[in-house]
Amino acid sequence: MKRLFFACLAVLAWASVGHAEGPLQDILQEHRALIEKPSRKTISPAIDDIAASGLDQAQRMLQAWEAKNLWQRTEDGLFYIGTTSGDALTLIDVDTGEELPETDKSAADQLKPNAGVRRLISSALVQFQLSDPNETRRLEALESIARRPEESHLAPLQASIEGEENRAIRARKERLVKLLSIAFADTPQAQIEAIEGVSGDLNLEVRAALNPLLATTRKVSDVIPAGENVAHVMRLGEDISRDEAYAALVEAGYATKRLTPAAIKDILAANIVDGQVGGVPVADLDTPEARDEAYRALAAAGTVPPFVSAEEVDEKLRTHVIYDAYNEPNGDVTKAAQSALKAIDLNVGLNQAADLGLDALSLASIYFLAAIGLAITFGVMGVINMAHGEFIMMGAYTGYVVQQVIPNHTLSLVVALPLAFVITFAAGVAMERLVIRKLYHRPLETLLATFGISIALQQLAKNIFGTQARPLTAPGWLDGAWVLNDVVSISYIRIAIFVLALCFLFLFLFIMKKTRLGLETRAVTQNPRMASSMGINPDKVNMLTFGLGSGIAGIAGVAIGLFAKVTSELGNDYIVQSFMTVVVGGVGNIWGTLAGAAMIGTLQKGIEWLNPSNTLAAQTFMIIFIIIFIQFRPRGIVALKGRAAGD
Amino acid sequence: MGKSFLKNHPTMLVFLALLALFTLAITVFSEAYGSGLVSTSFVKTLGKTLCLCLVAIAMDVIWGYAGILSLGHFAFFGLGGYMIGMWLMYERTKEVVLRSLENQTIPPTETEISDAIATQIFGVVGSSDFPLIWSFAHSLTLQLILVVAVPGILALIFGWLAFRSRVTGVYLSILTQAMTLALALYLFQNDSGLRGNNGLSGLQNLPHVTAPQSEISMWFLWASAAALGFGYVFFTMMLSGKFGMVVKGIRDNEQRVRFLGYEVEHYKLFLFTVTAIVAAVAGALYYPQAGIINPAEIMPIASIYLAVWVAIGGRGRLYGAVIGAAFVSLLSTWFTGGQAPDIPLGFYTISWVDWWQVLLGVSFVLVTLYAPKGIGGLFDLLKRKEVQK
Repeated sequence: MKRLFFACLAVLAWASVGHAEGPLQDILQEHRALIEKPSRKTISPAIDDIAASGLDQAQRMLQAWEAKNLWQRTEDGLFYIGTTSGDALTLIDVDTGEELPETDKSAADQLKPNAGVRRLISSALVQFQLSDPNETRRLEALESIARRPEESHLAPLQASIEGEENRAIRARKERLVKLLSIAFADTPQAQIEAIEGVSGDLNLEVRAALNPLLATTRKVSDVIPAGENVAHVMRLGEDISRDEAYAALVEAGYATKRLTPAAIKDILAANIVDGQVGGVPVADLDTPEARDEAYRALAAAGTVPPFVSAEEVDEKLRTHVIYDAYNEPNGDVTKAAQSALKAIDLNVGLNQAADLGLDALSLASIYFLAAIGLAITFGVMGVINMAHGEFIMMGAYTGYVVQQVIPNHTLSLVVALPLAFVITFAAGVAMERLVIRKLYHRPLETLLATFGISIALQQLAKNIFGTQARPLTAPGWLDGAWVLNDVVSISYIRIAIFVLALCFLFLFLFIMKKTRLGLETRAVTQNPRMASSMGINPDKVNMLTFGLGSGIAGIAGVAIGLFAKVTSELGNDYIVQSFMTVVVGGVGNIWGTLAGAAMIGTLQKGIEWLNPSNTLAAQTFMIIFIIIFIQFRPRGIVALKGRAAGD
Repeated sequence: MGKSFLKNHPTMLVFLALLALFTLAITVFSEAYGSGLVSTSFVKTLGKTLCLCLVAIAMDVIWGYAGILSLGHFAFFGLGGYMIGMWLMYERTKEVVLRSLENQTIPPTETEISDAIATQIFGVVGSSDFPLIWSFAHSLTLQLILVVAVPGILALIFGWLAFRSRVTGVYLSILTQAMTLALALYLFQNDSGLRGNNGLSGLQNLPHVTAPQSEISMWFLWASAAALGFGYVFFTMMLSGKFGMVVKGIRDNEQRVRFLGYEVEHYKLFLFTVTAIVAAVAGALYYPQAGIINPAEIMPIASIYLAVWVAIGGRGRLYGAVIGAAFVSLLSTWFTGGQAPDIPLGFYTISWVDWWQVLLGVSFVLVTLYAPKGIGGLFDLLKRKEVQK
């Protein structure tokens, strides 16, 4: 109705005056002086009127104005949207959008509002964008508000909720209104209400909105003034050191600056007279007391700034109070914000614990993966293979080499996994035949000989691939992470490793319990002579079993290479942990290895959580814990009983 | 004992004579006191080798005689080095700091001196305070006590825990390896108080001593030789009587010795601790000659090399350990120092700097497989031939 009225008016005006005028132009003309010389402080009424007009064309006009495309024709002072090409200028009517014939640039003045004014214009534009028919536009507007929330956004945002039909956008709007009202609501009650509405919310935006409310400023005073919203009164020696407190007093102008020992020393050095300073011989100035005395003498003579004694410092500190005050004056608001944050912290803590659990699980699966080959060779066969880590390394390098040949990461991974198995299987079989077979029942010798192999293999890898880390890139579909909320997330690669570890667990169980090889392996480990008299060839079985354990280590190497750097020392990082996993879990039992990996993984993550800055310390403490743990369960978590325990 | 002891151990006498002869020869040919045929850097290498021989006989006692393959004795060696290194570094830095403060018009206070020393030492790890463990660094006597006490107590606690729960064989090896790794990782931290992976450096400069390095290196060579000789005699005496029999019995059949009524754990714990202390003393003599110690030195691989030396030299005989340590470590210096001639194969040149480790690893496997007695086994062959004649 209003529009119609203006339209009629416009037609009338057109008819009567004879040139372009419309409702918007009228508003612009009304504020002509303001618009011609805009300043951030004075322009608001003009922008408000334009925005409040509810005219569709207002948005286009404001956008043009913001983009410095608004022109004022010199002859009659009317405003147009202008586009230039060279010196030619095309003016467009702000109301009708009609193009006027091309004129020369000199016929009009370009309006160039400054940054402050443009910001006001853009926040006025927000209300148009918020009800824009295009959904992406609306979402963009919401995102820009979320990024830089301002008080002026609140009202248009609230107004736009009613007309919103898209449910997701509507929810987002309601949420933003809440966040904005936390900071900008008119009354404390509204603020508190908004704060209580977000209590326990995990979203980072919520925390970002609440935190500014709790910002504090450190203040110094004789007594705390009434009406101050005090966050915390500093206690000397607990919250604040004496020196810091005194420095705060000095900064606030309540005390005179105290000279540092170094400054006193400089002053003393500058005031040496006849080998004496203030009557004290220079040679005696090697204690703080003597220096204070000398300085005091100088200060008494008036040559240097007065001396502030320790007693004076104490006195000043006693008579003054240092406290943190909230910038937000209303105590109820800060209290509500605090309890909301507390609820959020609790919730975040719970989620962090879940996240930590996921981390621990993934670390455990890595350890399990590294140790499962060892669970076969060491756990089942009782062969201690210190070159196990090098088999892992070989697997990782196989993955790297395959990736050099096959550029497609997915395909190369598909090729690398079996190839790594084949290569390390062969290496394991060779090692068993050439070295380990000759050393059965001499475990310490086996340990040493395999150490020799480990040293040789490591250096060999160094000679071939160099000392720098080689990349083994995961395929694209393993990038990224599965994000549950702003706290809990786990990268896909770790999920993949977890799945792989599970596969291996079942593979191991299947081979050991359901296949001929597994049966023969168990028979040979329990009683090789009896087994051989049953027609089993123990040499062959040992060879194959050892090869199997080594091959699994190779596959684990490919998986580990995907997230760790592939160097010749890769095996070193895992060998001790792998043995620990097997020993802690209980030798000869795959479930024990699983339990060992879970325990070590959880433990390490737990210690890291207690002392996040230091993963080295976590490993140290974990190893110490394991050493102590073995005191209580020398045979591991899952100890074999009876005959199966051997020895 | 007395005469019969000496008579019963002819190899000890031969060894001591050879050691004395060697020391004398080096002195005669040294730069400091002799013709200058042997360079100072080589004197240092030889002095260090003597220390390695000392830790090797400690390793031989615990492994070759008692059958405990400890992969932690080089950690004790390193700890000994750290303990003496703290004093060396503190005193040396103090000397430097005092000299630099001498020219100031106002004499420095004690706090200023200690602050300056702390900043000098711990600046690299971003700290300027002395950690608590440096409380005794100012006193040589206390720090020398710590050389023995810290590794000794660590070995005592660890050994007590391990032997008490009857961890034996490879399990004990793995456990000692884990202990070594834990210690090394701990020292790698910047806030361990021992300068993280920078380690302690400048240890070759003895504080308050103006003598040139050529003389200092000779002193250390003498000290190392004396320590080696003393250690050799000490272990020979210790293992010669009934005690030695029990120890060997434990190696061969622990269960049986236990059933005979011996407290096996006590014997093991005693040996473990004593050898750890000897290793620490060797380390305390080694690192002032090496000049620098850092946590990488005590990573488990070093302890494994120690076992390699003893295995190659021949377990269960002290001179075997000495031969193995001297032979392999000198050979290793020769190969990795780039002095060994490269072998051109036409399509590829074997550069020993790269291939020495491969050679060492492979020969170690071969020794374990085919010559379990090591180089010392050659002496057996000689002896048998003599008997046959």
